[in-house]
Amino acid sequence: MKTDVLHAVRLARLDLTLVARNTTVLFNVLLLPLLMAWMFTGAQGGAEVAGVPGGAFVLTGVPGLMLGFAVFINLVNSFTARREELVLKRLRGGQPSALAVMAGSGLGALALLLGQMVLLGIWLHRTEGVLPANVPLILLAAVLGVIVFGLLAAAFSGLTPNAEMAQITVLPVLMVMLLGAPIAFPLDVLPGPLGTVSGLLPVTPVVEMMRTGFLGADHFSSGGEALSTAGQWVAALPSIGIMVVWIGVTGLLARWLFRWEPRHG
Amino acid sequence: MRTPQLADTAGAAPHGLDDVIEVGGLRQKYGDFEAVRGISFTVPRGEVFALLGTNGAGKTTTMEVLEGFTPATDGTVRVLGLDPVRQQRELRPRVGIMLQEGGFLGDLTVAETVDLWKGLSEDAGRPVTLSGGAELPGRLTLMGRVRGVDRATMGALELVGLESKARVKVKQLSGGQKRRLDLALAVLSAPEVLFLDEPTTGMDPEARRTTWKVIEDLRDAGTSVLLTTHYLEEAERLATRLAIMHEGRIHTHGTVEEVVATSGDRIAFRLPGTAWTFGDLPVLDGVTPVLTYAGGGDGTAARSVTASSTASSTVPSTGPFTEVVYTLTGADTETRAHAALRPLMAWADGRGAALERLAVRRGTLEDVFMRVVGEQR
Repeated sequence: MKTDVLHAVRLARLDLTLVARNTTVLFNVLLLPLLMAWMFTGAQGGAEVAGVPGGAFVLTGVPGLMLGFAVFINLVNSFTARREELVLKRLRGGQPSALAVMAGSGLGALALLLGQMVLLGIWLHRTEGVLPANVPLILLAAVLGVIVFGLLAAAFSGLTPNAEMAQITVLPVLMVMLLGAPIAFPLDVLPGPLGTVSGLLPVTPVVEMMRTGFLGADHFSSGGEALSTAGQWVAALPSIGIMVVWIGVTGLLARWLFRWEPRHG
Repeated sequence: MRTPQLADTAGAAPHGLDDVIEVGGLRQKYGDFEAVRGISFTVPRGEVFALLGTNGAGKTTTMEVLEGFTPATDGTVRVLGLDPVRQQRELRPRVGIMLQEGGFLGDLTVAETVDLWKGLSEDAGRPVTLSGGAELPGRLTLMGRVRGVDRATMGALELVGLESKARVKVKQLSGGQKRRLDLALAVLSAPEVLFLDEPTTGMDPEARRTTWKVIEDLRDAGTSVLLTTHYLEEAERLATRLAIMHEGRIHTHGTVEEVVATSGDRIAFRLPGTAWTFGDLPVLDGVTPVLTYAGGGDGTAARSVTASSTASSTVPSTGPFTEVVYTLTGADTETRAHAALRPLMAWADGRGAALERLAVRRGTLEDVFMRVVGEQR
């Protein structure tokens, strides 16, 4: 177990090194979500959304976008390219366990996400005067989000024949994340069944936990009432439950679809 | 000493206490395609065992089953007494694997790649200390820390002659240099068993000889090596024993000498000028001739054609790579070959045939290989 953790940390460090050396990936993973956050906050103007300033609402929802870019797209690209270049095969032929290899990629993605969220927190504080109300809840949301979208990325990489095609296979998930999650607008603006379905998407619980964690108010419902720390955790329980179910679903998908090496013949 | 034999799919490998690799009745299927069709062999400790064969013979599939990448469809496989798939965790620290190709992160430098692999190996810190505690001479003791590259990493790179490339990105290496880096990674954790899949493909002759020396040093230090290669010269130099695979089966195996001995002696010549048919050619010592194409030079694949099956066919006289060959096997082949020259010369004199490059020679590993491949076509 200790060896697995050590290997995962080393592989995560490797992932971060490689991201830092690739300007295209660096832009897509780190800067694109922040650029989109800037565009969304500009579009909101000064209007209030769900009882909070529009800027604060958008910025606390942007981690949902970051999950799409820093975790999902990044890992689909990485898993697919490494599979086709036989890097995954080499790793599997070495001493790291399969779990350590996957966890290493997940840890690297988590580090990227947390780095972006620190920038986001600074931005939120400087423009809206908001300090995070419940950091552990934010961290839990980030970890659950990385696990679900990391497993989903592993599954989607199995459907992706090569790294070039990864740009296309990630689109459906990205579109659903952009349009169906409460990133720039609350769920209750969506018509009945669509709102219910959006509430069950894996990105929605993450955004709601993040928003509640940052703003200290109930953003699991449309009320937006202030909550105590304990109240925030209690209110988060259904979202945590949804994420646990998604971990099971995406775990099965990854087990079924993920491939360590290119198909024979 | 093991008796050389024409192996079939039956019969389990003999088990020895010191066999580090044991394969018994291995079959491997991908859908309807059977890539390996019931092969058996063992590799004792400290031996280099070579698997030879054409592309698609089943060598790499066999290797991958032994490396634990894929479970065997049928049969038994043990490496160091362990199941390569179920006991992977125990086995991996004790084996080194050199893949047939690829597997590198191009944006890392050569030294970073070795450092990464060292960090992922249990025995990081004693990178080229070989099995049994021996060190390759003059490797680790001379080189100190070089601009951020530690001594152990430089030692591994010196081992394969890549020390000058330490700070070069892997994507800038040639194919042969990548193979050498692959070898450095494979030996980093001082493995007891080393799997080398076509280790010298793409290398220049000097690098190939350096690699051979490394493998020989590893073998002398007690490391067991399973090697696949297309280079017969490589197998002859390195292998203690070898097996020739074709279409998923082992057709011949034994020591190099034993396998070559099955080839017997040869009378070989070319027939330029007049068109001859196979039916015109004499039978010598009860043997009908075979026409061999070495292949490659004219774009054709290497193969043999038996005269008896094509008696009315014309013997090609224009191809520079074709030879008429009589192969004499069994006892006292050298004397019999020389005796057979007399009727051959009489036949040539009587017909006015020029026997170009007439020679009597011992069989080679290539002859055995060609016979195995040719017999199956």
